[in-house]
Amino acid sequence: MTEMTDVSPPRGRTALRPWMLVLPALLFLAGFFVAPLIDNGARSFLGEEGGFTLARYWQLLSDRFYLGVIFETVALSAGVTLISALIGYPVAYFLVRKAGKWSGLVIFLLIAPLLTSIIMRTFGWQVLFARRGLVNNLLVDQIGLLDRPLRLLNTPEIAIAALVHVLVPFMVLSIASVLQGVDRRLEESAQMLGAGRVRTFFEVTLPLSLDGVGTGAILVFMIANGSFVTLVLLGGGLQTLPLLIYQQFNTTRDFGMASAMSTILLVIALVCLWLQLRLVRRQGG
Amino acid sequence: MARVTRPDWASLGLLAFVVAFFVFMLAPILVVVVVSFTSASYVAFPVPGWSLKWFWHIFEYEPFIDSLIVSFEVAVGATVLSCLIGIPACLFLARSRAGWASAVMTFLLSPLSMPMIVIGFAGLFFLSWVGIGISFTALLVTHTVVCLPYVVRTVAGVYRSVPRAYEEAAAILGANPLAVFRHVTLPLIRPGIMAGSLFSFLTSFDNLPVSYFFGSADTNTLPVVMLSYMEHQFDPSIAALSTLQLLLAVVALLVVDRLYGIDKMTVTG
Repeated sequence: MTEMTDVSPPRGRTALRPWMLVLPALLFLAGFFVAPLIDNGARSFLGEEGGFTLARYWQLLSDRFYLGVIFETVALSAGVTLISALIGYPVAYFLVRKAGKWSGLVIFLLIAPLLTSIIMRTFGWQVLFARRGLVNNLLVDQIGLLDRPLRLLNTPEIAIAALVHVLVPFMVLSIASVLQGVDRRLEESAQMLGAGRVRTFFEVTLPLSLDGVGTGAILVFMIANGSFVTLVLLGGGLQTLPLLIYQQFNTTRDFGMASAMSTILLVIALVCLWLQLRLVRRQGG
Repeated sequence: MARVTRPDWASLGLLAFVVAFFVFMLAPILVVVVVSFTSASYVAFPVPGWSLKWFWHIFEYEPFIDSLIVSFEVAVGATVLSCLIGIPACLFLARSRAGWASAVMTFLLSPLSMPMIVIGFAGLFFLSWVGIGISFTALLVTHTVVCLPYVVRTVAGVYRSVPRAYEEAAAILGANPLAVFRHVTLPLIRPGIMAGSLFSFLTSFDNLPVSYFFGSADTNTLPVVMLSYMEHQFDPSIAALSTLQLLLAVVALLVVDRLYGIDKMTVTG
């Protein structure tokens, strides 16, 4: 009776102890997710000749170069998040309020890009903005606006656009799911009481949907913070923590330093996760 | 519930914005599909002529095929493993009212929120220390960490919406717990398992930040090989591969959607 099969239902005979069903997953993550992260954190405090050291963190948090990289990581993620919110909100509004029978198509178009590989999208940006790409082709040959192709690739702008492209669907879906729950009668009441459409939007609709913006913002910020494929291929001179970890691993091979940078990235992620949980709890979800 | 919406400038402006948005979303993807059918030996858009030669080129470049097989094996393996450990956990967590159950749920989903590059980097050193360093096993285990949340989230979401009454009825009629699971619970949560497995497979198949750290001749996955190829060459074979990959994802999504109606789950879940 002490033996437990993985497939027994949640409320079997009490001797089977249903809570044991979570053990395989729990132990697996403890062994292959938490343990590596703790090991990684420990390595960042391990001195060259053994012993405990804070030297790497001291360097990361005092050196102008590293501070710049940390700042750029956070600023890039924040920028991408802000742009995604500004672009995503109108699309979410359209999806919930205006699309009507087209909403299925809009959702399909939003989800379809999520099925493409990150490599494919990066390649797409290269095709569009290469020296002989579509954009230069249009500007130079077709319209004749310029007499020489522009250098468009490897600029921060393209890297940011590519990141927004990857992340904005998450923002739209987060906002749309909250906007869907906003009671339209509140807006109608505001209008009946004499508020114009603009005022109704800014004083009723927008505040009521801010939770969706918040959820989406944390999600986008979190993913942007860890992304590096886009920056490796479209970089544009941007230096972020993930990119630096990648370089440390590849060329410098200073693993202790890479561990310390990973830990900082992890702490940022944990703060985001904490904010996310707080927000979800407030929504009562 | 027919609502009469008069066309007005604000709505038209919004519509124009949404159209521009989708041009932005689809352009980088469509150009890759077009370029994959080019007859030119270089990447240019518009393409000078059409051919399928870059699709044939994929099969001539051995690392692509080898890594494609590795990617497929890892994605299937990680998905199966995620289901084996994830589904039992969902069965308990989705029905438990215990306070710690929601904490465990958060924990099982937390790999989603961690930077993948950190999971990969930390995993490499830890697994080397344990003795499975750069190997297929290491790749499989780390991919499972990343895939598990997709299975757990989708299966738990579906199971929560299943009324307890069905299982209770079966139990009252004398079915033992195993029979209840096989004949009642499993068929009810199957859509969640299929959808979660699909997300898990696609996530693993497309994963680069984790796979990157476990790269060797035998364990390079397709995205890793594509990345290193792209860092040195810029030719349409990457476009052809991407197009094939997209086709695979779309077909898989359509099949699962046709069988189980996936759109309801992704949007509300």
